[in-house]
Amino acid sequence: MAHAQAQDTRVEWEAALVQRACAGDTRAFERLYREHSGCVYGLCLRMTRDVQLAEDCTQDTFINAWRALPRFETRSSLGTWLHRIAVNVSLAKRRRTSPVEPLPEPTEEGIAEAWTLETPVEVRDIEEAIGELPEGARDALVLHALYGYSHGEAAQMLGIAEGTCKAQLHRARKLLRERLGTEVN
Amino acid sequence: MSGPYEGTERKVSSLGELPRSIEPGRDLWPNIEAHLKGIQAAAPTTTGANAIPPRLRRARLSWLAAAAMVASVAVGVWIGRNLLPGVGPGAPGTVATTATAPPGFAAATDATVLDAAYVNDPRYQRQRAALLRSLPARLAALPPPARAKVLASLAAIRKAKQDLESALGKDPSNALLQELLVDTYQDEMRVLTDVREASEPGRGI
Repeated sequence: MAHAQAQDTRVEWEAALVQRACAGDTRAFERLYREHSGCVYGLCLRMTRDVQLAEDCTQDTFINAWRALPRFETRSSLGTWLHRIAVNVSLAKRRRTSPVEPLPEPTEEGIAEAWTLETPVEVRDIEEAIGELPEGARDALVLHALYGYSHGEAAQMLGIAEGTCKAQLHRARKLLRERLGTEVN
Repeated sequence: MSGPYEGTERKVSSLGELPRSIEPGRDLWPNIEAHLKGIQAAAPTTTGANAIPPRLRRARLSWLAAAAMVASVAVGVWIGRNLLPGVGPGAPGTVATTATAPPGFAAATDATVLDAAYVNDPRYQRQRAALLRSLPARLAALPPPARAKVLASLAAIRKAKQDLESALGKDPSNALLQELLVDTYQDEMRVLTDVREASEPGRGI
C-alpha cells in the first residue's frame, strides 16, 4: 500500500519534471538524468561491453531524450522510454564498430522465466559470462532476464521477431550453462 | 569487464538479482548539459524542444526582467519575514521545508525557504490577483495566434500546479515538489507580466 503510494508520488513528480523540461528547464532535466542515469548506463554497458562506448551511449540517450521529450506520453514509464532510446543508440553505435552477426532460427519453444542458478555464482563471474555471449544472445538476455522486459517487448526494442528473441534466449541459456558450469533454470 | 560492477564478490542465485543500475565512472551531466545549451542556442525558437512563435521570442527579455524583479522581491520578503518577530519561515502560511527529498535528489536548500516566502507574500498575492483580473481584457487585445499560445502556456502551468498540489497532498513535506510548485508559480507570474506588457500600446508579443 505504502509502496503503491510512493510509486504514485514518484510518477507525479516525474511527470512534473518532464513538463518543466519540455519548457526548457535544464535543471528539471538534470534531476531526471540523476534519477535514471545509473539504469541507462548499466544497460548501455552490458550491451556495448565498453566503458567509453557506454558513456557515449548514455550521453546520446539523454540528448536524444531531450529532443524527443515533447513526444513522450507522461502516462507511460519514463524509465522504459529511456531504455528504448538507449537500446537504439547502443545498437547503432555497435553496428558502426562490429560486423552484424547472423540471427538464429526463430523458435516457438517455451522459455522458462526464472533464470535461477542451481549453484550461487559471484556477480563478477556472471557479468563476465554475460559479456562473453554473442551480441544477439546478450542483448536478449540483458533486456529479458536483467531488466525484466517480456519476450515481445525485448523483441520490439531490438527490432527482431519474438521467435528470434526466444531463440537468442535459448542460446544464451545454453552458453551460460557451459560457461558458469551450473544449471540455469 | 568486472571493473564497473559493484559488489562483484557477492554471490547470487538468479540473474534477476544482478544490479540494474551501475553508476558511470565519471559525471556525464556537464557534457550533456553543454550539448543541450548548444541545441538551445542553435534553435532560438525553442525552449527545450517546444517551439515558440517568433512573436513571443521578443517577450523573453521582459520575462528575464520580470524574473529579476521576482528575485529581488523574494529577497526583500525573506529579509522582512526573518527580521519581523514571529514571522519566520516556520510561521503559519509558509510551506514546510524540513522534509527529505526523493531518492537521488538534492535535499531542501535555503532557496526553497526563500521561494516559499515569496509565494506566500501578500504583495505577490495582490499582484497576481490584479494580473488575473485584467487578463481577459489584455488577452482580447492580443493577435489570435499569440492569444492561443498564452492560453496554452497558462493551461500547461495550471496542469503542472494541479499535478504538483496533488502530489504534495500525498507527500506534503517533499522539498522537491515544494520547489517545483514555487517555480511553477513564478512561471505563471512571468507569463502574466509578459501579457500585461505586450498588451500595452506600442508593444507586442
